Amino acid sequence: MPDSLVQFEGVTRRFGDLVAVDNASLDIRAGEVLAILGENGAGKSTLMKMLYGLYPASAGEILIHDAPDKINGPADAMRAGIGMVFQHFSLLPALSVRDNLLLSWPRTPFWKSRRNTDTADVLATLAELAPHIDPDCPVGSLSVGEQQLVELCKVLNIDARLVILDEPTSVLTPDEAERLHGFIKQLAGRGVAVALITHKLADVEACADRIVVMRRGRVVDIAERGARSITETVALMMGQSVERKLQRPPVLEKIVPRLVLENLSARRPEMALQNVSLSIAAGEIVGVAGVAGNGQALLAEVVAGVEPLTGGDVLLDGVSIARHNPYDAVATPLGYIPEQPRDNGVVGTMTLARNLALRELAQGNRPPVTGRDLLFRFNVNPPDPMKTAGTLSGGNIQKLVSARELGGQRQAVLACYPTMGLDLAAIEMVYAAMFAQAAAGAAVLWISEDLDDLLAGCHRIAVMREGQLVALLDNSSTLTREVVGAHMIGLTETEAAA
Amino acid sequence: MSTELIAILASWGIATLRSATPLIFATLGETLVQRVGIINLGTEGEMLLGACVGFAVGVATGNPWLGLTAGALAGATLSLLHAGLVLGAGANQIGSGLAVWMIALGATSYVGRTLVGQQVTPLPALGTDWTDGIPIIGEVLSQMTLAAPLALLAVIFAAWWLNQTRPGLHWKAVGESALVAAENGIRPTRVRVTAIMVGGLLAGFGGAILSVDYTQTWAQEMTKGRGLVAVGLVIVARWKPALVLPVCLLFGLTEVATLRLQSAGFELSPHLLGTAPYLVVLAVLVASHIFARRASAMPADLKAVFQ
Ligand SMILES: Nc1ncnc2c1ncn2[C@@H]1O[C@H](COP(=O)(O)OP(=O)(O)OP(=O)(O)O)[C@@H](O)[C@H]1O
Ligand SMILES: [Mg+2]
Repeated sequence: MPDSLVQFEGVTRRFGDLVAVDNASLDIRAGEVLAILGENGAGKSTLMKMLYGLYPASAGEILIHDAPDKINGPADAMRAGIGMVFQHFSLLPALSVRDNLLLSWPRTPFWKSRRNTDTADVLATLAELAPHIDPDCPVGSLSVGEQQLVELCKVLNIDARLVILDEPTSVLTPDEAERLHGFIKQLAGRGVAVALITHKLADVEACADRIVVMRRGRVVDIAERGARSITETVALMMGQSVERKLQRPPVLEKIVPRLVLENLSARRPEMALQNVSLSIAAGEIVGVAGVAGNGQALLAEVVAGVEPLTGGDVLLDGVSIARHNPYDAVATPLGYIPEQPRDNGVVGTMTLARNLALRELAQGNRPPVTGRDLLFRFNVNPPDPMKTAGTLSGGNIQKLVSARELGGQRQAVLACYPTMGLDLAAIEMVYAAMFAQAAAGAAVLWISEDLDDLLAGCHRIAVMREGQLVALLDNSSTLTREVVGAHMIGLTETEAAA
Repeated sequence: MSTELIAILASWGIATLRSATPLIFATLGETLVQRVGIINLGTEGEMLLGACVGFAVGVATGNPWLGLTAGALAGATLSLLHAGLVLGAGANQIGSGLAVWMIALGATSYVGRTLVGQQVTPLPALGTDWTDGIPIIGEVLSQMTLAAPLALLAVIFAAWWLNQTRPGLHWKAVGESALVAAENGIRPTRVRVTAIMVGGLLAGFGGAILSVDYTQTWAQEMTKGRGLVAVGLVIVARWKPALVLPVCLLFGLTEVATLRLQSAGFELSPHLLGTAPYLVVLAVLVASHIFARRASAMPADLKAVFQ
């Protein structure tokens, strides 16, 4: 039996009346990967944030081996050898990747210039984990997945005994996730304990040694790897069974172009969109696949009128909805679920009700009285319109934005990674809402990194690479992951077949 | 090129450099302060106090270097008031800066009365008997003091500090987000106090250069808004220490040009002419914004001051 590194003994955490973590007891052992599963709002993040010193426990005790002092903050936790990668990042977008890594590295020398060989080691983990990331580019220009990897490198750089990862793979491409799995196993092999919060059963299958399931703040199950079947685990998580019922959408009877991208061009310092053309018909669902950081984010922001375009146009039923120069301000008529909704889609200090009514507020109209129905429909937990949005768990923020954007009928929908950080039941709910929009005649543009979901739900799949649409594939029954994947990385189909 | 032309250029160059030197110090100081996410309108007051104290100490001791040192220390001390008000008492940064300015204005007007008309020993010229023989260069050196080369060194040092050292990185991090910096184990308040004091030190030194070296007199309100100009020039220099030099030199050059135009009897209201340096800098600001488009160089936490 390996030594236990951390022991939670009857730990409880309350936020006002809400019991986020309820009398939880478990231990984390050196050299093991402990997966923590549970639905959105189950208390996973809160449990780990207590360990990291961000919140004190309301009751109970957290014992850390060889660290007698109480952990009063992240600085203490780091000193005790505990590192945490948050669901939202603690990176500085304006600084380079290298500077961000140097910032938290205990061994950063006074003269931090590249020419100082003492700084070389800070990039070692990065080179191993994400060799494609240029250490000199600003973090803000990286895709979310790449930022996640940088964040991970930061934690690995502090030589931690225990690494806490809060949904690290929800923003990674399958490739990146696989590399991360390998790295996690390597870490555990070195004797480091890894606590892995996740919604993805693939993560669990790939590397978990023990599995903890939480529901409504309680630890409901702790089992060794292999002791439970997947269905059992899911049932434990949800308290019910969830079936995947993502269905191929009905074939369109007639093609009426609705959302049209005409020769779109746009530029950002690190990324350029070139001549993207795409016509989406009423009722059609077009998926956008691509390796992270190939211009999907810029495409979304241009279509949504956030980022100005430099050429071409975006037409909704023949009317331009794009932002033509930096001095325009555009209120998009699209149902728009942005990437990283905590930063881009909600105002953390406002109530849920006001967040649901952001469009009305922006136009100076009186907001609707309450959005309780919407909150219930989209399963936002807690469904209290007067709560401030910033206190919601990661997944519930995502649901809140979906509720606002998909709650009423739209002419067109633009969804970027709409299921990021959601539990299985919530994923089904968001997909259902999105497909209902299409069924009622909306044109849907859906950016995702989950090829299986795209293949299951789209009429057509567009592939982006280096800021261009390199393929537009009809999603017939013969289209496979491999074919789409080959387009993503730039292989021709014959090469892919070989 | 004819030697005559070179001589004219050299004379303009020296005049520009001398008029820009106090501004370079103040702007550099304010740049560092804004890089940690603080805005200090008190720069004007710190310059003024530096000019007054520097001049007084210079007159009293007969040693201009002591005067400059005293001016710098006075600026740093006054800046502590801003630090205390903003970081300690949570005061509004704009209001606190204005308060610091007003306090310095009142104090120097009162104390400075006795200084009007006094003589201060100037800094020695760079020229030596040995260089005097060399054409042009000898001429230039004999009209220059160490102040301008020091300004140049200060700019180089500040750029190096921010971009190449660990504490400089911490400063930048605090300016981008005090919260994230704290999550990474940095103490934002300590960094901010240090940066504000360095800013005050440089502003005070710049002020002392103005009275002890450049004009070699004391007059009430003699900084004439240079400290406020410095706050604006930081934006034109896009918060980069290295750009402080060209921006301040441009300002100095227009100032010299308007002065010379006036003395050459140019037919335009002197008040109107006096606005020329500000107009030129404004034009540069607009141009730089158009060329740099939306790639804002503003430290992210600084934006919070205006919300
Ligand atoms: N700072 C806070 N103030 C008030 N309530 C909070 C706060 N942080 C979390 N909560 C509440 O505590 C509960 C548990 O949240 P937590 O973030 O731990 O969930 P989670 O299991 O990580 O969910 P997800 O999978 O969606 O990230 C939620 O109901 C949430 O609204
Ligand atoms: Mg969470």
